[in-house]
This record gives sequence, structure tokens and C-alpha cells, in this order.
Amino acid sequence: MKLVRCEHYKACTNELSEIRSVVRCACKKMGFSESEINLLTLAIDEACTNIIRYAYCGDKSGRIDLEVYQSESEAIFFLTDYAKCIKKSCLEIKDKKLTEPGGLGLKLIHKAMDSVQLISLSDPVGNKLELRKRLPQG
Amino acid sequence: MSYSQTIHLHYERLVLTGEVDLHNSPQVRKQLLAILKNGCSVLVDFSELSYIDSSGIATLVEAFNVAKNNQLTLTIIAAAGAPLQVLELTNLNKVFPMVSSLDDIRE
Repeated sequence: MKLVRCEHYKACTNELSEIRSVVRCACKKMGFSESEINLLTLAIDEACTNIIRYAYCGDKSGRIDLEVYQSESEAIFFLTDYAKCIKKSCLEIKDKKLTEPGGLGLKLIHKAMDSVQLISLSDPVGNKLELRKRLPQG
Repeated sequence: MSYSQTIHLHYERLVLTGEVDLHNSPQVRKQLLAILKNGCSVLVDFSELSYIDSSGIATLVEAFNVAKNNQLTLTIIAAAGAPLQVLELTNLNKVFPMVSSLDDIRE
């Protein structure tokens, strides 16, 4: 598994633009199409947004680590935060009408990625989100 | 993100430029709700918009519901690229009235 990018960010909304730019660049390097790059960038942005809002609850002193790896068949994104452990059920999609608020970001993450997994960290305490997407063929 | 506001026919037209995300969607929300509070239907112009996240989409959904409850309308103009992909992915392209250009807006 090859490391494509590794970056650290403050858990602030004004970092989101830079995160998107880094993800776009990494996805382009891995050969994804423009349309796939849009979706993957959106998924990582939504995941970071959820970390800022729900894991750190707006505490700007928090940190988000982004790691992007490329295996033979997949792009693998890890997002690590050091907030309190969140329940795995938080990643489940609640079936709501589209015009009702809430949960939209999570739906977008699941639609963009092939697999989404949350790993609880104990030392230091935190959460590691693993997002996988098959690489484009050819 | 920046925005500009103009009048087109009897609509308020809000042109969004750049990227809408959690950092700036509260600004968009404030602007949209202020327009609707004044009793105006709104045209949200996406022609200069390169990105919108779920917080931006949630803002549009909220404004759409406020408009509907007040016999007003919210129409999206010229959605393309990544913003259009998000609308299609969420099926909201079937919920919001959408037109391809300002020329399609009639009195």
C-alpha cells in the first residue's frame, strides 16, 4: 500500500477548502475521472464536516489527520480525530424524506464510497474513519 | 464564496460564486431567508458555483420549504458540474424547480 498524501488540519471549517483541494489532487493522481473526483472530494468534505460538528462539537483546538493510500485495487482514505469515541450507529443512514433536514452528508458519503468503516482508538482516544473506493480500471 | 443580489422580473436573483460549505452556508441561509421574509420569490443562480456540500443543500431545502409555506417559489438556475451532481445524487433535482438559464424565467 503506497502513501499518496498525509496532512494534518485544525478542526475548523475554514480548513475544508484546503482539504478538498488536497483530496482532488490525490484523486487525480490515482486516475479517477472528473465526476468521480467530485464525489470523492464531497465524501471526504462531508466526513470532515461531521468530525468538526459532531466529534469535536465545534472545538477548534481539535485535529484531523488525513491519510490517502493507494493499493493495487483501491484508494483508501483515513480520517483520524482525537475527540471522544463516537458510536458506530452514528454512521447508519436513517431513512428520511429528502426535504427533511439531517443525515444528508452521511448518505452522500455512503453513495460515493464502496465501504465506510469506523474504528475506535483507545490510546490516544479518538476515531479513525476508513473510506475505500475501487480504483478506475485500465 | 461570495454572492451578489439583483432583481430579475419580480424575482430576487441570488448569484452564488465559488464554493459553499459549512464555513459559509450560514451566510447563504441568512440571505435566502431574508429575501423570503420580504415576500419575494427567489432565483438561486448556480452559474458561478463550483461546489456545494450538504450544509448548502440543507440550506436550500429549508428555504424551499419556507418559500412553499408562504406561497413563494425558489428556483435554481444553471446548475452544472459538481453542484448538479450533488442535486442528482440526492434526487433533489426532482424536488427543486430548475432551469438552465435566466432566459427560461418568465413573469
